[in-house]
Amino acid sequence: MRKILLLALLWPCLSALYAQTTPSRFQIQGMTTDTVANPLGSATVMLLQRKDSSLVNFSRTNEKGAFSFRNIKKGDYLLKITYVGFIPLEKDIVFGDKELIDLGTLRLKPITKELFEIVIKTARAPMSIKGDTIEYNPASFKVPPGSTVEDLLRKLPGVQIDQNGNIIAQGQQVQKVTVDGKRFFGDDPKMATKNLPAEAINKVQIFNDKTEQSKVTGVDDGKQEKTVNLQLKDSFKKGGFGKVTAGVGLDGNNSANPRGEIKGNYNKFDDKNQFSIIGLTNNTNQTGMSWDDYQDFRGSGSFNQWNDNGDFGFGGGGYYISIGGDDDGGLSIPVGGGLNRGYSNNIAGGINYNRNTKKIKTNASYYYNSNRQVFDALRTRENFLQNGSFQTNEQSNQINFVGNHRLSFRHEQTIDSLNTLIFSNNSRLNAGNTRLSSFTEYLRSNNFKSNESTINNSTLVDKIETANTLLYRHKFKKKGRSFAVSASYNFTNNDGVADQNSLNLFYNATNPDDVIRQLLDLTNNTGSRVNLFKTSLLFVEPFAKRFFSETFVNLSHRSDFVDRNVFDLAKENGQRMPVDSLSSYYKNNYNYARLGTSIRYSYKGLNFSGGLAVQTFQIDGKFGLGQEPNTFIDVKRNYTTFIPNASFSYDLKNNRYFWSGYNVNVNQPNTRDLQPIIDNSNPLIIRQGNPDLLPSLSHNINLGYNMFNPASFTSFNVNLYYSYNVNQIIYNQQIDPATLITVTKPVNISGGQNLGSYIGFGFPLKKTKATINFNASPGISKNLTPINGVMNETNTNSLRFGVRLDLTPSDVFTFYPNANWSIGNTKYSINTTQNQQIVTQTYGGTMNIRLPKDFYINSNFNYQIYTNDRFGFNQQVPVLNSSIYKVLGKSKKAEIRLSLYDAFNRNLGVNQFANQNYVSQERIQTLARYYMLSFTYNMRGMNTNIKRRGWY
Amino acid sequence: MKKTFFSLAILCCVALGAFAQQTEGIVTYEHKYNWIKVNSRLTYLSKEEKDRMQLTWGNEDNGPGTKMKLIFNDKQSIYTYGNEQGQTEDGRYSWRQEEYLVYRNFEKEKIIEHYEMLGKTFLLEDSLMSYNWRIQNQIKDVAGYVCMKAETFDPIKNHKITAWFAQDIPVPAGPERYLGLPGVILELDINDGDVIVSAQKVELKNVDKDLTLPKMKGKKIKNSDYDQLLKKHIADSIKAQRNPYWSIRY
Repeated sequence: MRKILLLALLWPCLSALYAQTTPSRFQIQGMTTDTVANPLGSATVMLLQRKDSSLVNFSRTNEKGAFSFRNIKKGDYLLKITYVGFIPLEKDIVFGDKELIDLGTLRLKPITKELFEIVIKTARAPMSIKGDTIEYNPASFKVPPGSTVEDLLRKLPGVQIDQNGNIIAQGQQVQKVTVDGKRFFGDDPKMATKNLPAEAINKVQIFNDKTEQSKVTGVDDGKQEKTVNLQLKDSFKKGGFGKVTAGVGLDGNNSANPRGEIKGNYNKFDDKNQFSIIGLTNNTNQTGMSWDDYQDFRGSGSFNQWNDNGDFGFGGGGYYISIGGDDDGGLSIPVGGGLNRGYSNNIAGGINYNRNTKKIKTNASYYYNSNRQVFDALRTRENFLQNGSFQTNEQSNQINFVGNHRLSFRHEQTIDSLNTLIFSNNSRLNAGNTRLSSFTEYLRSNNFKSNESTINNSTLVDKIETANTLLYRHKFKKKGRSFAVSASYNFTNNDGVADQNSLNLFYNATNPDDVIRQLLDLTNNTGSRVNLFKTSLLFVEPFAKRFFSETFVNLSHRSDFVDRNVFDLAKENGQRMPVDSLSSYYKNNYNYARLGTSIRYSYKGLNFSGGLAVQTFQIDGKFGLGQEPNTFIDVKRNYTTFIPNASFSYDLKNNRYFWSGYNVNVNQPNTRDLQPIIDNSNPLIIRQGNPDLLPSLSHNINLGYNMFNPASFTSFNVNLYYSYNVNQIIYNQQIDPATLITVTKPVNISGGQNLGSYIGFGFPLKKTKATINFNASPGISKNLTPINGVMNETNTNSLRFGVRLDLTPSDVFTFYPNANWSIGNTKYSINTTQNQQIVTQTYGGTMNIRLPKDFYINSNFNYQIYTNDRFGFNQQVPVLNSSIYKVLGKSKKAEIRLSLYDAFNRNLGVNQFANQNYVSQERIQTLARYYMLSFTYNMRGMNTNIKRRGWY
Repeated sequence: MKKTFFSLAILCCVALGAFAQQTEGIVTYEHKYNWIKVNSRLTYLSKEEKDRMQLTWGNEDNGPGTKMKLIFNDKQSIYTYGNEQGQTEDGRYSWRQEEYLVYRNFEKEKIIEHYEMLGKTFLLEDSLMSYNWRIQNQIKDVAGYVCMKAETFDPIKNHKITAWFAQDIPVPAGPERYLGLPGVILELDINDGDVIVSAQKVELKNVDKDLTLPKMKGKKIKNSDYDQLLKKHIADSIKAQRNPYWSIRY
């Protein structure tokens, strides 16, 4: 810097030395005035490179309008002078042999005041000036929907439309209208302006163009035509896409049924509307949509129900996820289909529409799905008593069919910046049937067969469910003060017919007549209705600085009505006779009220909240066997409890977070457990209700920490959780050692506990090429079960440990191996000889290879080993899936794929489990080896990425 | 050399006594980050994944942006958060704002920048950088000032930068790391709307008291280190198919 200053000081001497030759440094100067020769002081003068308008230097004019640049090297410059309200002036700099370049007086033309005021000040729209072209952004000039370009032009300053539709811009008639620079249907400029919708236009440019003649001849005739160019909006905000997959294949197990799948979806959308349809059918255990399909189907309505929980509580109601679900699915669309047990045939389809504007968000969808599932299962279960044990072996075949129609509607109205209203309805109509036939043997420790039970059951169910919520949120003018109220009505009607047929043999009966003790042939008609009304209020008030109080009230009233009529096939005349001992009738009313408040502190990422609620349950029920009102038993219960709550989270520097919380869950006993009646529809397991049950309560504590270093890609997280149960509802078991008949009765037991954890740690071995992840979840739990009057304490300690490697050495090869071990040790206090260890090992890997000519190979191997040494149980399930596919076409929109599923033909559904006083294993015949040839067409192009996606 | 011109230009501005009252004040900006647009630039995502993101989340209101402020006079400027903490609109939930302060001294041609990125806190001290601004022909109104458009390109982050500067406030300051135009930058558009930093309010007043730097600690780096760090991080992340942008200032 100093050197340069020195240079500047020496400049006069230096220039004198070189006076004879062309100077290497120049001085540029000039004067600015307006059109009437008034000097323009403090105008901005910029020296730009002509080729790209790069800013080289800038200055301001003084109060006399004069400016100058010294020390300028020779170059190809453009001088640009701007002054607010004037059309910028551009001037070429011509270097001569004189050091001083005097540009003389430069006159700036004002922008029409009208134009300037309207475009710049009122519409706050950018206005472009390129020489004589003035460009507008139509978004700033509001026209009603459905308007044509002509209506739009009429609004633009400086443009008029005469009666005949001729356009006059800046006083001249427009000769030519082009669209994206191209002529639009012939010579009549009105064609475009009268026919194109205004919404389609991104920019309107008005300028003088050379005449067609001069363009053709290349001779400039000096005449110019006023031209309007309409620039269309890019298509990003509007479009349609879809994909379809069809595959057909052979079953590798000589089954007559070929395997096949068809799946397709189509979306059409613009910036306000989204419309989509989806359909799928297969017999390859894909029970429904994947999450990606779900998002494509629901669009902007995918996740917005997160905000609809009207049951305000601690934390203001928080966010609550209610999508997904099991096969039954409840009211929401089942997602994440993939059944790895049994066989299933699936059909699903739906239609969805969303509309989103600034004020409203509306989502509506209809979805149908049906699944027919076949399970052939072998189950073994060992039940422990104080001395000895007994085993049950079950062989069963079950066929389930369920068809669901689901309707969902949600409307969110932003009334103004302070008020929001949300209405949602989710409904389901479903019909299903099941058929179960099973054969169960009861074996004593010396392998002596004690009992035998053959069951043939079938059910038919029709169900209607609907849930409606209205939610209103109001923000007060005072920042942080808000109010919300919700009201819900849910209704369920369930009609079912169940046929139960069973034959039970008791081999160790002393009386020979008792050997065949129970032959049941029952028909069971059940009608039930549940009505639920709920309302909640939430009020948030800020106080002091950084503190809020949150107060909530929840009220609900539920009424259940159940009428169950059981008929026996009468021995004599083949008529069905009512069986009062099994029939039941009840009417229950539940009232629930909760009032709570919490204090929240929030400052710079440190959030703490603590509160207390009081809640009361009231049960008012009538239970009866048969329809005789005088046999009805009244059950009235009141239960009040206090619930504390605390939560804490801290956002630490450099991507580290810490959180902790304490909450209490209270669950009311279900109706079946409260019924003071005996259900002996299964003569080997007799259920007894308990009207004295109290609600169960669990205290939960959790603690967590996580960190991520985005530069080194290292991550670490820890989670700890503990729960303690009070009045847990547990089925007391009374097992007759002679007959092995189990009588269960729910009781309240305190003292069950569970301590769990998760630790994860991942880091790259070689950045972008290899990453390793470890995870471990040690845990211990204690469960209490009274068995034949003795309290059995089941202690389980478990450890799951896993390691995963992501190997991504190149763009043509990726490999992801993993190994997981799960070890569970279970100890039974009443029978320590039964203590055992269950081990499950999983070894797997996914490999992707990109071959030349758009060929790809994908292989996936999963090897599971289930062992329980005490039982000599050792089941190995190696499953290898492999496919080769080719992506077709230049735009990669199609794919043809040949797949082999379960190459070793060993797939099996396996489950092993130890709890309370039993240990069980289950094996279910499952879809095994098949081949498939499939074709996919995706309008948006196939995804040819072979790396596994992290988060983004 | 450019720097020299630049300082000369500043001297010119300073020399104009008529503008003395126009050369200091506080600009309050709203910084809006459009994560869908940013994520749509991730080269490893398929068209299908980008459309899915746009359809699912594109209609969500991302709420108000982050409030930022630029305190400037003709010699120096400080750009940092407008509020002491990040919080939801109703204030019920707050979060820590990552360290972010950008200091410019036009007179001494010095810069100090303090920020958290890539899991660390840095303190950058170096001499004033320059940008190759290309002056455009558009004008528009931002916060009551007629602004002219200028464009440049950030080769490290591969960003197209559009700035709207007010000729009426002849100070070469600006939001984020940008500067060097014949007027304060009142709106900054990074990559066609990925980030928009737009002035909400301009108060011209004496700011001598506000122009004091807080105590700052961090790993000391230079401009060249900064470029190097970002270049490597972006390249590594894209290669590993991770989003590089959430851990840096976009």
